[in-house]
This record gives sequence, C-alpha cells and structure tokens, in this order.
Amino acid sequence: MTNSINEIEQAEVILATGSNTTEAHPQIARRMLDAVDNGAKLIVIDPRRTRLAEEATVHLQLRPGTDIPLLNGMMRVILDESLADHLFIDMRTENFAALRDMLYKIDLAETERITGVPLEKIRQAAQLYGRARRSVICYCLGITQHVVGTKNVQAIANLAMLTGNVEKEFTGVDPLRGQNNVQGACDMGALPNVYPGYQAVDNLDFKEKFERVWQTKLSAEPGLALMDMTHSGKHGPLKAMFIMGENPFLSDPLVDKVEETLANLEFLVVSDIFLTETAKFAHVVFPAASFAEKTGTFTNSERRVQLVRQAIAPIGNCRTDAEIICELADRMGFPMDYESPAEIMEEIALLAPIYGGIRHDRLDGDSWGLQWPCWDRNHPGTPFLHKYYFTRGKGRFIPGDHQPPVEVPCKDFPYYLNTGRIYHHYHTGTMTRKSEMLSRESGEALLQIHPADAAELQVRNGDTLCVASRRGAIQIRAQITTEVAKGSVYTSFHFSETPVNRLTIDTQDPIAKCPEYKVCAVRIEKAS
Amino acid sequence: MEDNYRLSKDHLQSFLRKIKKDHRLVAPVANQHGDTMFSVINHLDRAPIELNDQSQNGIKSFLFPQQETLFTYHAENGDYHFQAVAGKAEPTVYFGVRSCDLMAVLYMDVAFMGGVKDQQYLAKRRDSILIGLNCNQPFSNCFCNATKSGPFLEYGFDLQLTDLGDHYLVQVGRPKGRALLKKWQQYFTPAPQEDVQRQYQLSLEAMSNFRLNVHADQAIQRLKAGQVGGEIWERLSNRCQDCGGCAYICPTCTCFTIVDRRLSDTSGERLRNWDACTFAGFTKMAGGHNPVDQKNRAIEQRFMHKLCYDVKDHGRPSCVGCGRCVGICFGGTDIVRFIKLAGED
Repeated sequence: MTNSINEIEQAEVILATGSNTTEAHPQIARRMLDAVDNGAKLIVIDPRRTRLAEEATVHLQLRPGTDIPLLNGMMRVILDESLADHLFIDMRTENFAALRDMLYKIDLAETERITGVPLEKIRQAAQLYGRARRSVICYCLGITQHVVGTKNVQAIANLAMLTGNVEKEFTGVDPLRGQNNVQGACDMGALPNVYPGYQAVDNLDFKEKFERVWQTKLSAEPGLALMDMTHSGKHGPLKAMFIMGENPFLSDPLVDKVEETLANLEFLVVSDIFLTETAKFAHVVFPAASFAEKTGTFTNSERRVQLVRQAIAPIGNCRTDAEIICELADRMGFPMDYESPAEIMEEIALLAPIYGGIRHDRLDGDSWGLQWPCWDRNHPGTPFLHKYYFTRGKGRFIPGDHQPPVEVPCKDFPYYLNTGRIYHHYHTGTMTRKSEMLSRESGEALLQIHPADAAELQVRNGDTLCVASRRGAIQIRAQITTEVAKGSVYTSFHFSETPVNRLTIDTQDPIAKCPEYKVCAVRIEKAS
Repeated sequence: MEDNYRLSKDHLQSFLRKIKKDHRLVAPVANQHGDTMFSVINHLDRAPIELNDQSQNGIKSFLFPQQETLFTYHAENGDYHFQAVAGKAEPTVYFGVRSCDLMAVLYMDVAFMGGVKDQQYLAKRRDSILIGLNCNQPFSNCFCNATKSGPFLEYGFDLQLTDLGDHYLVQVGRPKGRALLKKWQQYFTPAPQEDVQRQYQLSLEAMSNFRLNVHADQAIQRLKAGQVGGEIWERLSNRCQDCGGCAYICPTCTCFTIVDRRLSDTSGERLRNWDACTFAGFTKMAGGHNPVDQKNRAIEQRFMHKLCYDVKDHGRPSCVGCGRCVGICFGGTDIVRFIKLAGED
C-alpha cells in the first residue's frame, strides 16, 4: 500500500476494484464503511455484486477480464471533462503524451460494449474519482490474477497519476495483501529475483554485498517462479524442493500437473503446522511452530513491521521456522548462529536499507510498529509512499490496450468461472478447517450461480452439479444467488474435496507469472 | 451485625492472602502487555491486581467456559461407554467485580438455573463468592446508567467495596459475604455514617460522569411497540462483519452449541462451545435453508433478545451497559449505535 490503512477513513472517494473487501479484508472494509459514514463516496468495480458493492455509490459490474478498457474509459471521461491534474502530470510524471494519444482513440460506445457497463455509470464513477481531492484506490487479486495482471495494475497507476491522487496523504494506490506476513515474506526476498529489501539478484553490487556479509558465493541468476517449479512435471529440471507453509497441491492451477511434479521429486521436504495435502507427498516433514509459539515480526499491507511475542511454549516436538532453517544450515556445514530473533533483525537492518532503522527494541513496549522505508535508528517510518518523487524518479504512464482473457465462454464451455475466497476459511483450509465452528458456518464449497442460469439448467439450490473445463471436472453443489451475474459462476478453492484448481487455467501473466485464476470457461451439467 | 464496614487499603493484600487459603482467587490483573484481564491468581505478590482499569473480559468464562467437555465416550466390545465429566468446582472468590459484571452473573443465574438446572454451571456457581467494586468513575464506553445496572449496586453482591481514598467502605450483601467477613473480621471495623454519606455522594457524581449519551428506555419502548423499522436491521446487518466478537465478549451472552470431537478410532468427547446468534450456522438447517435472512436480519435476534424479549420475560434488559462490545465491534453495529438508531423517530 502507498497509504496507511487509517488514511482510508479520511478519503473523499474510495475506488475498490477486484476486491471482496468485506469478506477478505474486514479490517480494511471497516475503514471504507466508516469513510462512507463520514460522507465519502464508494466506487466498486467487480463482476460480482458483493456486500461491498451493495454499499457502493456506484457499482460497475464489468464483464470478467475487461478492467483495462473500463479504466481507460474512465480516464477518457476525465480528460474530456477537464478533471485531469495537469500540474501534477507536468511536475511528477512522464510519457503522458502516449497515454493521451491512446485515450483519444477510444470510442466510449465500444468501451460500453466490451465491458458490459452502461456508459452513464462509467461517467459517474470517473466524475466522482476525478473531482475529489482525496481519492484512494484499493485493489486485490481480482486485478492481479489475470494474464494482464501487470497491465491492469499499470492502468490503475495511470488513473491515479492522471488525477494527481498519489504522493500525498489520504490518496494513493493500495494493493491489499492476503496474508498477515506476505508483505514481509516479499520484503525478505522470498521472490525469485531479489534479495531482502528488493535488491536485484542479477545486480553485481548487491550480490557482492550479500556475499561479503554471508561469507559465501551467491548465484547472479534469478531463480524459478512458483509455477515454473510446481508445474515442471515428471521430466522437469527440479530434483528437490523445500516447501514451507504452503500447500501448492491445492492452491496452484492444474492440480494434476502439480501432483505429477511432487510425486516425481527425488527429495521433498515440507514444513507446516499441520500435515497438509502437499506434505503427504514429502519424504521429510518438519512440524513447525504456530504464530503463538514464536517471537519475531510480521509486516502487514501498510508496510508496518510489528513485533509478535511468544505466548505459549511450542507444543510437542515442533520448532520455529527459523530454528528449522538454522539447524538445517548447521548440519549442512554452514553455521547460522543467532542467539535470538532480535539478532536476525539486526542483520536485516544491516542488509536491507528499507529496514535500516528497524530493531526489536524499537518495536517493543508501546510501539505500534514501524512502517518502511525506515532508513536509520532515528527515522520515524513512512506512513505514505512517494512523497516528493516516485521510487524511480518520475511516474511513467504506460498505456495499455484491451487483451481478452485466454479463455472466454464459447458454445461448448458457455460460462465464466471466477474463483476466490470466502469469509470463514483461509486459503487451502489447513488451519480453518480444523475448527468445528468455522466448518459449521461453511463446510463445503458451493458454486454461486445466477437464478436465470439455474432456471435454464433446471437446477435447484443444493443440487449437485458437474462443472467441467478443458482441463478437468469437479462435482459441486449449487447456490443460487444474484451475487453473480448471469453467465458467470463463482466458487472458492478452500476445500480439498472440491479442488477447483482442476478447472482453472495455468496461463500466466508474462511479467508477474501469476496465473489467471479469475477467468476460465466452463460447462455445467446436473450430476446424475 | 452491622452491614457497613471499613477496610483499610493497607490490609487489602493481607485479606486477599487469607481468602486464598481456602478459595481460588480471581481478580483483574494487569499483564505484561498492559491489558487488564480477570485471571486466577496463583501468586498474590507477583500478580499486580489492577482496580483502576476496566478488565477486558468479564467473569463469564470462569462460570461458563468458552469450551467445556460435557462427557467422554469410548467403544469397547461393541458397546459405547459414556463418562460424565465430574461437575465439581473449586470454591472461588471473584474479587473486584464491577456492577455490570455482577449484574451479568445474576442474569446467567436466571439463564442457567431459572428452569432446568444446568449442572455444569451450577457446580461452578454454587461455591462462588462475588466481591463487587463500585465505579466512582465510569470508563469511556460505559452506559450502565442507561441499563440500570450500575455504577453502584444495591443488591446481588456477597460483599461490595467502594473506594473512599485510603480505605474501602465494605457493604455486606448475601450470607456468604457475611460469613467471609466474619471469618476474617480482624481486618474490618464498623464504618461511620460519614462513609455512607461519602459513598452516596460518589454515586451521584459517578452518575453524572458518563461520556456516552445512551437512551435505552426509548429504544426499548419503541421495540416493544414494534416501531423499529426494517431499514435499521438492514443497515446494521449489512455492516455486521460476522466476527462474533460482541457475543464472545458480552458478559450476558449465554448461547452455546454442542459438537462431538473424535479423539481416536474408539473414543471421543462431547463439547459445548460458545455460540453467537449473529452466525448463519446458529439458525441454518441441515438442508441449507436459513429462516433468518442473514444479509438483512443477522443482528435482529441479538438486539431483540437483549432489549425486548428479556424485558418481557424478566422485567429488565439483559444488556448491562459494560460497553465492551462498543470497543470490540469493528463493523460499527454495536448496541449503542443500535439504541441510538432505534430510539429515533
């Protein structure tokens, strides 16, 4: 997030796109709704009529995978109605001419046709967003889990820069992170191409710096992206994997391919707090400690590093992830001798400049944590990003054109399938499905289907359906609801009995390598 | 015997130490992270009893735990054998219980012992002694003045303390309190009339120090008359985030659900867990149908129960105005907000 979470409460206009915020990020949704109570206008862009959409001033219920033409349409209206912030564009951005030229070629009637959103609503949303002085954009996986995920994000950035809604408090672009510490994991270099602090692996200066501190030789070649690993198959280059706190057997597309890969590894180690579906393939399983059993830090969506203190001693033989890694390294002849998590934090501060001033003693006591970048011990942290200038200098407009999803409905597979999360479960359910109460609230995956489609298929609530894509088929019960549009169905991937990732497509965004979980085409039949 | 005594603050610790000789002691304790929680006190000198803060929990979970085993079973030679979990509890003194939490226990007594006697609850309640503490200064979310359950109580306690500076005024309520006081009478002296007058003055001042303006009577009357419109339920239900925090933190929410947990191939246990009427699973039927329109009416039962049904059944609302749900609700659907909306024309 470029903002702090609390800034959302003070926004004049909030644009939430590709985010089922009330279910997936209730603490963010609460701020949005508080803002609405204070008079803020809420724009929701989502193919589904979510609970947040019910609260919206305007809901743009677009056709799946048409985010770029919709955002371009809004930008065109902003240009036409002189709502662009030309002073901001001059001072802080570059390449505006390219965006402007592209926008002037747009036919708004065509936008309406592609997106399925009435032009009047697009205009209303553009006016609301463009006229306000404090507009915030929140987006989530509905934007990124597409083959054009990167371009979608660029379109959002274009919109924010076009109206000058960045670089100041209460404005900005906020990707909502899905896990308590996914931001921290990325910050620490759990990505194929960077060391901790987003320092590129193939930059020799960085490589040399890390080699000096770690006293070992490092490779200058970026690693493999997740799906390059889990989809490498029987004859792939991968011989061994160490998987920590992840359950790719359920969470990655083309489950059959993942199974083939895992089953054919020469050596698989899985470390998790419960025995997951993935762990069942492992040669060695390490029982890991849960959050309550360890001390360390989590970094949340707003880049806030917070100290988590051990509340109970580890149960049974489990160990913290850090202990497991250090002990392994030790046995492999590379001693990692840290007396405490605080000492590890000192090393992070030494190596990752954005964490330069963060130490455990600053996070303890009455502290609510520190937001990076925090350059030195006296730095108070950074509530919002890009004050004075963007990280790269000037913000660059990158115009993008519509590119349809890889699979759109056809005669044989006439429905859009969208996948996501529901309130009561977390990811592949390794933790939440252990709770009787949560299982009572939601014990199985349901396929949301529009009443008109249900009538056509002569399906009643609770009927079992066979849903098939070009890649596989699953059986699932129907939930008839107007939350989805006609022609679209939706379900979650939390339940191993209903592995929806047998259906999803594995085509990825070429830059972010994120598969298009949000759109594929399916056929639906009543199960006999 | 008189009913009003003085206890010097110098002797409080000694008195508690004596109590601990034959009772478990539960009191509000400030933990290392700055939170005040009702806790079992194992070492009196190592547990800083905190009487100037509102504890985050009430004493509900000691009498009605969040999860409680009712019985265990095992299969042997083709037969099932059931073993009830013994309904015996340690005699416990609850010290420093605020008026709202004390009233909440009286409500739980009605819920668990009014009709069918709940043996699990009864076992814990039978041997408990409640030592109350009046609130000279209400906390920021308090509204017990509106629900008539504080800040000073006149009944319900075994003993009740009022802070008068260097000493407490101790009032004797129920017989168990009198017995406790008699047993350790060396710490108590009869209170002069002046102390009673000071206590009355403090109660007057406390009444005028509430920061929230909550007009519960008006909402209760409008609910009774059926004048609270559907749009209020819809608006708040839509905002409810379904976390159940209000019910779990509420000192008078007593709903529970029963689950069976398998422990091995041949054994298991039956548990009861706290439940919440705002959860879909509370009313959802086996076939998936839910008679409650979850989207628009999820919170109706909660507020109707507290402010309407219980007024009809027991003559008073079962909200005790402790304000904890106001602090915990992050959807903005807490009872104070409801009372405000429901009280308006």
